[in-house]
Amino acid sequence: MAMQAQLTYRLGSFGFLLGKLIRLLFFFAFIMAVFSHVSTVAGYTLVETALFFLTFNVVDMTAQIFFRGVYGARRTVTEGDFDFYLVQPCSPLFRMVCSSVDFLDIITLLPVLVMVGMVFARLPPLSWTRYAAYGLLSVNGVALVFSVHVLVAALAVRTQELENAIWIYRDVMFMGKFPVDVYARPVRWALTFGVPIAVMTTFPAKALLGVLSPAWTAYAFALTAVALALSGWFWRDSVARYTSSSS
Amino acid sequence: MKKYLVAYSIALQETLQRRSTLLMDRLGGFAIVVSLYSFWNALLGDKPSFLGYTRSEMLTYVLLINVLRSFVFTGRGWQLVGEISSGRISSYLVRPISYHGYSLALDMAQKTVHAVSAFLEVALLAWLISGGIFLPRDPATWALFAAAAVLSSLVFFFLEMLVSSLAFWTSESGGPLFCFELFLQFAAGAFFPLDVLPEGIQRLLSATPFPYMVFFPARIFLDKVPHPEALRLLAVELAWLAAVVFAALGLWRQGVQSYAAEGG
Amino acid sequence: MAPAIETKGLTKDYRSPVKEPGLWGGIRSLVNRRYKDIRAVNDVSLRIEEGELVGFLGANGAGKTTTLKMLSGLLTPTAGEALALGHVPWRREAAFQKKLSLVMGQRSQLWWELPAYETFRLNQAIYGIAEADFKMHLDELVDLLDLGEHLSVPVKKLSLGERMRAELAAALLHGPRLLLLDEPTIGLDVVMQKKVREFVKAYNQRHGATIMLTSHNMTDVVALCKRVIVIERGRILYDGALDRLVESYADHKILRVRFSTPVTASDLRTLGSVVHCEGESATLEVPRANVSASAAALLRSYPVADLNVEEVAIDDIVRRLFSHS
Repeated sequence: MAMQAQLTYRLGSFGFLLGKLIRLLFFFAFIMAVFSHVSTVAGYTLVETALFFLTFNVVDMTAQIFFRGVYGARRTVTEGDFDFYLVQPCSPLFRMVCSSVDFLDIITLLPVLVMVGMVFARLPPLSWTRYAAYGLLSVNGVALVFSVHVLVAALAVRTQELENAIWIYRDVMFMGKFPVDVYARPVRWALTFGVPIAVMTTFPAKALLGVLSPAWTAYAFALTAVALALSGWFWRDSVARYTSSSS
Repeated sequence: MKKYLVAYSIALQETLQRRSTLLMDRLGGFAIVVSLYSFWNALLGDKPSFLGYTRSEMLTYVLLINVLRSFVFTGRGWQLVGEISSGRISSYLVRPISYHGYSLALDMAQKTVHAVSAFLEVALLAWLISGGIFLPRDPATWALFAAAAVLSSLVFFFLEMLVSSLAFWTSESGGPLFCFELFLQFAAGAFFPLDVLPEGIQRLLSATPFPYMVFFPARIFLDKVPHPEALRLLAVELAWLAAVVFAALGLWRQGVQSYAAEGG
Repeated sequence: MAPAIETKGLTKDYRSPVKEPGLWGGIRSLVNRRYKDIRAVNDVSLRIEEGELVGFLGANGAGKTTTLKMLSGLLTPTAGEALALGHVPWRREAAFQKKLSLVMGQRSQLWWELPAYETFRLNQAIYGIAEADFKMHLDELVDLLDLGEHLSVPVKKLSLGERMRAELAAALLHGPRLLLLDEPTIGLDVVMQKKVREFVKAYNQRHGATIMLTSHNMTDVVALCKRVIVIERGRILYDGALDRLVESYADHKILRVRFSTPVTASDLRTLGSVVHCEGESATLEVPRANVSASAAALLRSYPVADLNVEEVAIDDIVRRLFSHS
């Protein structure tokens, strides 16, 4: 049914799709253009930088595709839809976060995956453990993003105000487009321990390139585990304190 | 005329009321500035300059992006799309007020607040970051820059209105508007100086109004454009403005004519 | 004297895209859009004098709102002419707009984060209301609508009823001579509905403004309008006094009786058609001419505890009107 609704959007859907593809291509063209003038940036070559950028996109887009529901979280609560979610026999968290999946967005993921493949092809042969690490850390990244979304959803339920928080996350995520090494040390620390964008997007690529130590890898998984637990707890707590907003 | 001033003043009041939204917007912009600057910094590495931009010029360019984005890239396009699709626009059409004038007044209020904030942020950043920023010595440069910035914000405003007017004919105009805004940001040089792109593409873009919005004003500020040339650019931008205003108002008129005034 | 509103042969056509059902239909419509033409308003001619309070009745989609929109200048008709307060509405002349007010149900013109008073000031500037007139109108509206302390509080903090009243005030600050109200009481509770009705009536009487309102709510119409225009599928079915509508389309009246002892239906059938008879109460439909005779017969021959003579409900009349057309 969601697909049907999407088809009736016609021009609109293609427009947004096109926009996202444009953004992807332009940034890629930008990276290529930059590297036509220099050979490395912060010690990374074109292929490596492309890998960072594409990994960011894989994680970010996957999250966007599945967790879009949070962007309308405040409205869901203030308009009373959330009350329905609580009463119906389906996880309200799932409904809140995952219910506005845009299937056409999956189409935007395809070119990204193709480009990732192309980048893999240009890397020197690597052991399968590296690729496994890449895959695992990417999934880890998506899980971490998920916990951020859960946090925001919980805030929306709790205070019925802070939907803006998710937009900050979007803007800060912008910083993940580049490998974290480009940032000055304090910023890098903030992005690794504060808002862990680095863990989400840079770590998988670093693991693939073999520059991520086991300690950091362990940190990544541990962080996600803790984040999921905390955000889950926060969600349950917020739902318990929930006061319905319908007049 | 008074009605637009009143609209401006109450819009100003309202923007200041929504403090948390304002804060979020500015923080977001700040994150972008930090990433862009860091990337360029890393790019420069030990080199004294890149594509003709020294370190301080590069930093200044990034800060200018922040300032220019804050008041050129606001607009009322999304509001227009929303008001057409919800039917709210009817209430403007039955009252003796020009929608464009009213929207512009509201947009000016947004621009005022954002511009002030951007200046403060930039001042703070410039003070914090070593290497200093580039400041033109000639007051004429400042004047030319200001004129370019004002023209740019008006061009953007009316371009958005033009694209958003599509909402009169299709309920799915959000897509084109989104595409347009995205494309515009790249083509205007709002992420990176257009010098990075190949010659051919640069030439192509100069035939459009887009580079005039960020790239040219920034270059004027950085004294990379001799004053006579700058005046010529301003004249071209003025011509673009006239063309865009004409197109936007024309399309609007057509749209209102065919408007089915849905919702009832 | 020139009428407030005069229209001749007003017609409005729409093209509406046909949505085909199902997923396959959705894909097909992606490629090949089909449209159907709808005549929303068909040859409407009417004349309304200044100061009249007219009700516009009709089912959803009958064309009432479209007609109202044409009269306000929002829509340009496909054919026909109209003059409102001496202007052609769809030319949208400023002079016309300053005398007009269009109020449509849920639409809000109040700025959410600011007190309603600020929106009033904006309207003052838009309509060019002199300071003295502004104060006078404001005081009157605040008084009539009981807005007192609600004006200095941000609109988002007001209750729905307070907001609606503030909306009405905002719409009338400029003292319009022509007021077009589209479903003014929709979504309001009974108390608020009554307040809005009383306000509309008071405004009409005090200012002699011409008021046209559409409503599904018969209580509104009965309370406010002496004249009604019934529209169905774009055509005017009836245009005249409300009482005459009742009389001409309801050829009978309703007798509701309560007896002190149970009565059977068969006994009552001689007096009129029995709609309902159970235990001690009964409802009869009696032709108009026979009402007094039947009532007298009831009182004479049966142990009547209570007897009411009623007109047929307007809703029923209107429903019957539609089914006849």
